[in-house]
Amino acid sequence: MNVKLIKRNLKKEITGWWIISLVGAVVILLPILVIFSSIFQEPNENWLHIRQYLLTNYFENTIILVVLTGLFTAFLGVTLAWLIAAYDFPLKRFFRWGLLLPLSIPTFIAAYTYRTMLGYTGVVQTTLRNHFDYQLNPEWITVSGIGGAVFIFTLFLFPYVYMITRAFLESQSTSYIESARLLGRKPFAVFYKVVLPLSRPAIVGGSVLVIYEVLGDYGVTSYLGIHTISTAIFQTWFGMYDVNSAMKLAAWLMVIIVGIFFLERLLRQRRRYHLSNKSRPLVPVKLKGIAGMAAFMYCGVVFLLGFLIPFIQLIVWAKMTFHKVWDATFFTLLYQTVYVAVLSTLIILVLAVVVANVCRSHSSFSFILSKCVTLGYSIPGPIIAIGVLAIFISLDKWLAPMYFSMGLGEAPLILSLSLVMLIVGYCIRFMATGFNATEVGFEKVGTKYMEASRMLGMGLTKTFFKVDLPLIKGSLISGFILTFVEICKELPLSLLLRPFNFETLATKTYQYANDEQIHEASISSLLIILISILSVIIFQILGKKVKQ
Amino acid sequence: MNLSNLFKPLLAGAMLTIGLAGCGTNQPDTEGDKAASKPKTTENQEVNIYTARHYEVDDEIYKKFTEETGIKVNVVKGEAEELIERLKREGKSTQADLFVTVDGGVLANAKQNDILQPVTSDIIEKNVPENLRDVDNNWIGLATRARIIAYSKDRVTPEQLSTYEDLTSEKWNGKLLVRSSTSLYNQSLLSSFIEINGEEKAEQWAKGIVNNFARQPDGGDRDQAKAIAAGTGDVAIMNTYYVGLLANSEDPEEVKVAESIGVFFPNQETNGTHVNISGIGLTKHSKNQENAIKLIEYITDVEAQETLSANNYEFPVNPKASKPALLESWGDFKMQELNFDTLGEHNKKAIEIFNKTGWK
Amino acid sequence: MSIVEIKDLTFSFSRKEEPVINDFTFSMEKGEIVGILGQSGSGKSTLLRLISGLEMPVKGTIKIAATTVVSESVFIHPEERGVGMVFQDYALFPHMTVKDNILFGLSRLPRKDRKLRVDEMLELVQMEEFYKRYPHELSGGQQQRIALARALAPKPNVLLMDEPFSNLDADLKESIREELGVILKKANMTCIMVTHDRHDVEAICDYSITLGQSNVSNGLNRVKLKTIK
Repeated sequence: MNVKLIKRNLKKEITGWWIISLVGAVVILLPILVIFSSIFQEPNENWLHIRQYLLTNYFENTIILVVLTGLFTAFLGVTLAWLIAAYDFPLKRFFRWGLLLPLSIPTFIAAYTYRTMLGYTGVVQTTLRNHFDYQLNPEWITVSGIGGAVFIFTLFLFPYVYMITRAFLESQSTSYIESARLLGRKPFAVFYKVVLPLSRPAIVGGSVLVIYEVLGDYGVTSYLGIHTISTAIFQTWFGMYDVNSAMKLAAWLMVIIVGIFFLERLLRQRRRYHLSNKSRPLVPVKLKGIAGMAAFMYCGVVFLLGFLIPFIQLIVWAKMTFHKVWDATFFTLLYQTVYVAVLSTLIILVLAVVVANVCRSHSSFSFILSKCVTLGYSIPGPIIAIGVLAIFISLDKWLAPMYFSMGLGEAPLILSLSLVMLIVGYCIRFMATGFNATEVGFEKVGTKYMEASRMLGMGLTKTFFKVDLPLIKGSLISGFILTFVEICKELPLSLLLRPFNFETLATKTYQYANDEQIHEASISSLLIILISILSVIIFQILGKKVKQ
Repeated sequence: MNLSNLFKPLLAGAMLTIGLAGCGTNQPDTEGDKAASKPKTTENQEVNIYTARHYEVDDEIYKKFTEETGIKVNVVKGEAEELIERLKREGKSTQADLFVTVDGGVLANAKQNDILQPVTSDIIEKNVPENLRDVDNNWIGLATRARIIAYSKDRVTPEQLSTYEDLTSEKWNGKLLVRSSTSLYNQSLLSSFIEINGEEKAEQWAKGIVNNFARQPDGGDRDQAKAIAAGTGDVAIMNTYYVGLLANSEDPEEVKVAESIGVFFPNQETNGTHVNISGIGLTKHSKNQENAIKLIEYITDVEAQETLSANNYEFPVNPKASKPALLESWGDFKMQELNFDTLGEHNKKAIEIFNKTGWK
Repeated sequence: MSIVEIKDLTFSFSRKEEPVINDFTFSMEKGEIVGILGQSGSGKSTLLRLISGLEMPVKGTIKIAATTVVSESVFIHPEERGVGMVFQDYALFPHMTVKDNILFGLSRLPRKDRKLRVDEMLELVQMEEFYKRYPHELSGGQQQRIALARALAPKPNVLLMDEPFSNLDADLKESIREELGVILKKANMTCIMVTHDRHDVEAICDYSITLGQSNVSNGLNRVKLKTIK
């Protein structure tokens, strides 16, 4: 192609929107590339030690954890989604959204709560001991090791699979399921032969989200003392004061993640069903008698274990320690948590909207762009933290002459000690949440209104504000809420990138729990959970208004 | 090209960035940041602390100090490693005057990183015995916790216990409880053995302990005490601070656990019980040295030491300070004598030994 | 003077694929109404999108009212081309009333003239009393008329229509088609209309072009068939 032609073609594409997207993508990619480059660095003696004694074990634990959690969450998520979508039974309408509530409890808080509750001084063993004079072997029901972690992850992450699969079944599978029923197949066969294979993309999509969460986890695994690659990153960094080896570990973790990413592609590629999106909703079948009771019990047990029991336990502990722990600093904590989350969410949404708008033209450039900006979700917090830290410190070094001329002293650290760093970290990690919601919004609206507007003489920017924005408002609100809740719950990034003396509810909770003061941690835990639930309720109310 | 098209979103982006940078420097008013970003002209009236100790009682003591002296105390909290890293990077431009943290290994590490300077004060030297200060007075001890052997009052008699080394013997096979090697407390313990007994013996000891595990390391120090009460094991290596926490818990069940275990100070006949020390150091580039030293003097004085001990179940460093009843009931004990610098030096070796011997 | 001039226009969806439109050359005069026929996949809609600037050709030039809008070195954004379009499913903005929909394209007019123009347009399509309605409160035929009014309001140099009748019932279609012819002539509008229905062309077009595989392969794209009027 000649230069003139390229120039002309670029002119069609390059707008302010395009440039912002590109800058955003670079900011997001840079820290990730920094990490990746460390794989090629000369190993030091610590690394040799890690490789000799630990690496195999770290890999093994990580993989066992991922495989088991993946299987169990898929099972729980899919069976519940099927029950709720296809059947009617007592309290089903409540369970439909109630089964999402486990997501409001951050996994690390769930781990503290369950471990203490089931421990020797916890309510279960104490009751057995004091009221029934029965001494249970505490090793039987303890939440510890890989088994404990899988238990926690499964109970509190299954809603990802449940949510996506249920939405799929409710809206898109009607004709297939109905024709299977009409062909006289028994419910089990319908489920096994039709529902399961059809919803495979949804199941895989949800499970991959769960796997990313597990790979990136720091709170649960470090608390339960499981050595995974993610916890090892912390240990080499803080225990051995060796950032380079920590980065090398991070790079290896990324290798696993890239592997999973391609595996998911592979699993999805050949099974791409084009399902009509104007399908009728599935009419649920009424379950009577024992079947209804059984469905009710199944949902009920999951709901109790995944939400109600730990929630009530936290309330009891909060009551117990309220007089000791509660003071005005909680308002500061609450304020700081909400403040940084709202600010980050807004930035994420602005960038998400810009990038998603650019990606509406389905070119290979836009495909790569969208993959780049959403990459962060699949990368564990600690890794992002290291990358961001490295970038910011070199940025400060680079800016040092400017700081000096501004009279800020010799080589101070301005950016890397500011809130900007944490916000950038959040943006990288959670861009995908905002972006996906926005993309769904744009997809629903299509490009015709935008094209109509441009034909009527409005530029891209005016068109966006006058036409697109009002039409995707609903999706933006849901993107906002989802991202906001995720940020409020976030632990490792907050722990590593916060400016000094800046605490969020999550870091405060972690600090108490880390000092083995589980009861004292309950108030900040409850506040996080309440923020999440409240956000979802607000979302429901707003969602109804938008529909009207 | 339509310039306005290009320009408008860019402008919006630029404004966003500026807004952000603004947030970065004027973030929600936290005391620490004011201290870090705005050098004050009235220097005599404040002192800035970087601390890795997050206890309410510390804040209480700082508050009392301000009340009595009029010197304002600004606190920046963080993890010890982060704070050391920050002090190193800030160099001359640091606003910090004092560095506070738990664990001798970390204190030694701070000293090695050349971020502290010697303190000279007769009062401090009178308050704190020599063995609880850095050899060069780069840091001063604040409080100590002993890493003791907790035992089941039902199944073990104190006469059966003697030393840390004895825990590797046959009789404790399958009965010993201890937390994971990722804990700093265990790392410092092993570091001290490397210093006192040599690397080879230290490795043998770690191996022996692993052999006697009642179960794989699980949970924190409190969990080891609970496991004794539950009968999983008979003896545990743990920290006195956590015994204090248990005994004073809001949960009556935890208090019961504390009552069911005994506290034994090992190595009394030989080289003494290992202690974890919390310390405070004057930073190399402190701008308020006088105030900083005043604060160290204050915090090591009898009154502050007694507050600290009473609220946080730590042993005071000032021998004149009285201890709360629980600590008093354990009596006096002989402390391991060693140069704390060596803890920092051996920390990495300790981690390597743990990994080699399979102490999870 | 030709109002639309297309020369050697070639377009393909990706570099690997065969071109959908190959060396297409065509021109039309002001006030003409041209029908574009062809099987599905023959590039009818694509041609409209190329003229309007929503797609970029591989090769060739397009001039509208003597201004080059796309060539090897020029690309003018759709909003600058002065082209009106009626979309297949009308694409009326669902969050705006009929009036606001028509007003939307009039931002370049002085404020006082806008209202007049809206009234004029509503009168032209005989929808005066519906100005307060939202698009979903209108029937298919009514929506189509509003879409037409909206596209005509900014006085485009050329009006492009993509299958304007495909969403209408058969009996409705005939009456609307006639109306449309009248309106377009009244407004003296130059118009290119894509359709798959030969009757549409016979009813309102001055002449028609057929795009198709055969034309592409033997390079005979410049077919200009005068149909019976």
